[in-house]
Amino acid sequence: MKKKTLNKIVAPALALGLLVPTGVQADDHMPTASTPAGDLRATLDQLLSEHYVLAVTSMMKGYDEAADAEAAMQALDQNALDMTPAISSVYGEEGGMKFEEIFAGHNDYSSDFVEAAKSDNEELRMEAEAEVDEFVEEFSTFLDTATEGNLPKAAAADAIELHEDQVLSVFDNYVEGDYEEAYMTFREGYKHMFDISKALSNAVVMQMPDKFTTGADTPAVELRSTLNSLAGEHFALAAIGMQKGYDQAEDYDYVTWAEDQNTLDFKAAIQSIYGDEGAAQFEKVWNSDHITAQGDIVAATLEGDEAMIEDARMRLDQFAVDFSTFLDAATEGNLPQAAGEEAIKQHETLVLDTFDQYVAGDAEAAWMSFREGYAFMFGVGETLGNAIVTQMPDKFEETMMPEEMPETGLGGAQEQSMNSLYAALAVLGGILLAFVTLRKRKVSEQ
Amino acid sequence: MNKRHLFLALSLFCFSFWTWTSAQESSSPPVEEKQIEESPDLTAEFSLLQEEVKKLRLAEEEENAKAVTPVQIQIPKIDVDTAVEQVGVLENGQMGVPKDENQVGWFEPGVTPGSKGNAVIAGHVDSKTGPAIFYQLDQLTKGDDVLIRDEAGNTLRFRVTKTERYDTKTAPIEEIFGATSNRNLNLITCSGTFGDGGYDERFVVYTELVDTELNETVDLETPTAVELKGNLLTWHAVRQESVIGYRVYEVVDGKATHIESVPSHARKSIEVTNENDASYYVTAIDQLGNESKPSQTTN
Repeated sequence: MKKKTLNKIVAPALALGLLVPTGVQADDHMPTASTPAGDLRATLDQLLSEHYVLAVTSMMKGYDEAADAEAAMQALDQNALDMTPAISSVYGEEGGMKFEEIFAGHNDYSSDFVEAAKSDNEELRMEAEAEVDEFVEEFSTFLDTATEGNLPKAAAADAIELHEDQVLSVFDNYVEGDYEEAYMTFREGYKHMFDISKALSNAVVMQMPDKFTTGADTPAVELRSTLNSLAGEHFALAAIGMQKGYDQAEDYDYVTWAEDQNTLDFKAAIQSIYGDEGAAQFEKVWNSDHITAQGDIVAATLEGDEAMIEDARMRLDQFAVDFSTFLDAATEGNLPQAAGEEAIKQHETLVLDTFDQYVAGDAEAAWMSFREGYAFMFGVGETLGNAIVTQMPDKFEETMMPEEMPETGLGGAQEQSMNSLYAALAVLGGILLAFVTLRKRKVSEQ
Repeated sequence: MNKRHLFLALSLFCFSFWTWTSAQESSSPPVEEKQIEESPDLTAEFSLLQEEVKKLRLAEEEENAKAVTPVQIQIPKIDVDTAVEQVGVLENGQMGVPKDENQVGWFEPGVTPGSKGNAVIAGHVDSKTGPAIFYQLDQLTKGDDVLIRDEAGNTLRFRVTKTERYDTKTAPIEEIFGATSNRNLNLITCSGTFGDGGYDERFVVYTELVDTELNETVDLETPTAVELKGNLLTWHAVRQESVIGYRVYEVVDGKATHIESVPSHARKSIEVTNENDASYYVTAIDQLGNESKPSQTTN
């Protein structure tokens, strides 16, 4: 029952990011973030980063013996199951099954780490660490094989190992009460998931050039991924922060600190596109009736102050108006105000649902809302990203590059003289130089 | 509670019977209006949770348990050992005086000795006929002991921190009677030259409670990581059980104004206007109303 509901929630996101492209890419050269490779990367961004957030959070909840620890763990398991169809769509049923076998199992170790920390069981900890090492070995081998070496085993192993280290570091610091370190690592670990996603989607794209005609790292797709990362992290920290605030957890202030750092990163992204003034406007709107209103809802809920809750909710509605107006103006109408407001309201509703259900003690509903709300953020990159790309196509133009050098000679002159060979090489060099210069210019224009 | 809201017009009064009589007849006694804050009203300032209010009450009770309602005062150095009367505020706004010149008067509407704040006891320097109980009060110097006893025999020891002589009209009422986080007891008597308006000076002995147990209490930590991010001022909580909230101050042209109080259960951030090159700092407040040292100021 529960599983079905969760599947239903995640289905739209997966449909959107169906990994193997069915259509052919548009012919025109207008840059866009909505490419098969872009969809592939967005889906991996979402599932992998959600895995990370849920893994870390469920471990903390488990350690605290929180009432919703089990529900959080179930959400983590469901996330793993959601990856299988994604993998199957690229590598077939068998590949999907093989993946599930390796991947789903590794979530079990996290409860061993929790148990070891709670009972101070050094032996159990060592066992769990050994199992993680085994997982890194197995999974990197799987990725190497599946991508036919496009994601080499060594690189995959390094990336996965770093991820496992980061998860453990967040948890260990949390257990130690070093919350600042815990949430600094949380943020690094979160970003690292997007690096893994990039490496993996690049490998798949390289492996299947006829299915993916454009890259997984074009400027437009990069923008989409960046916005998804910022939006997803915002949601996760907002939802988790509100829970921690309601519980008056010791690490509440550190979650809100991380949330504020996320705001700064978001601001920097806006700055790179719209300059200082746009960034300052963004920051003001973002904090005013949004971040502070969410904080007020937590405090008012603790105080039982219905009027203050109502007031804060109305401020969130105002934020939807203000922020969509900002985005409309910034994108010069490419993200129309009404559509923006609608989407932002949906996001806020999902944040509040997660919180209200948590407060009501309905852990399962809360974590389903969390997953739904998290997935929702991964539409932000595409919608907002495309609005920006459409607004300033020059900035996101893909540099056209041939895959191989041109055949600039037929060999007839080979035997004539070395001089002509040098001349031919000079021509070739000139062409190469032209490519490099062109590429550099495009890059610097961004 | 109404003590806290009591507006008191106080003036330092000379404790000579003779002067007291003449002062009553005086048409325009020097009256200075001041609000005495026994302690700031924390429940009004911070929207506290029920359990926090409970914590606050417990702390107040514990706090009050340290205080004694004085019935006897001993000052060994000047051979004072006498009963303590309770005095209030006269109709003209002056602090009342003991009826008996060989006893002293504790200002009952104010702080109880041993509580946080300035408790005040006054005694006469002389009567019409000769020296009274605080005749030798000006012999006290820093380090001398003053003992206060309640009816049950509980004794508190205070130690002189300084003595001051003030012009009657300009004596610092706030310093002598006002709120402080220390547990002080201040003794007042007359001094100077006796003229038509009574003595022209007042002699004040400042003492503070000597209590090893109390001295061991942990210092209130200062909020850290105070940062201005656009219009959002954020800081990290002080992780001490006793903290109930934070005060945020805005500094413009070197002048600090208290702009908001944030309870400890809330998000440690507020939106500020951030105009006029303002900078900000934050302090932590504990359940007894103690305020930490200011945090670092932004910018």
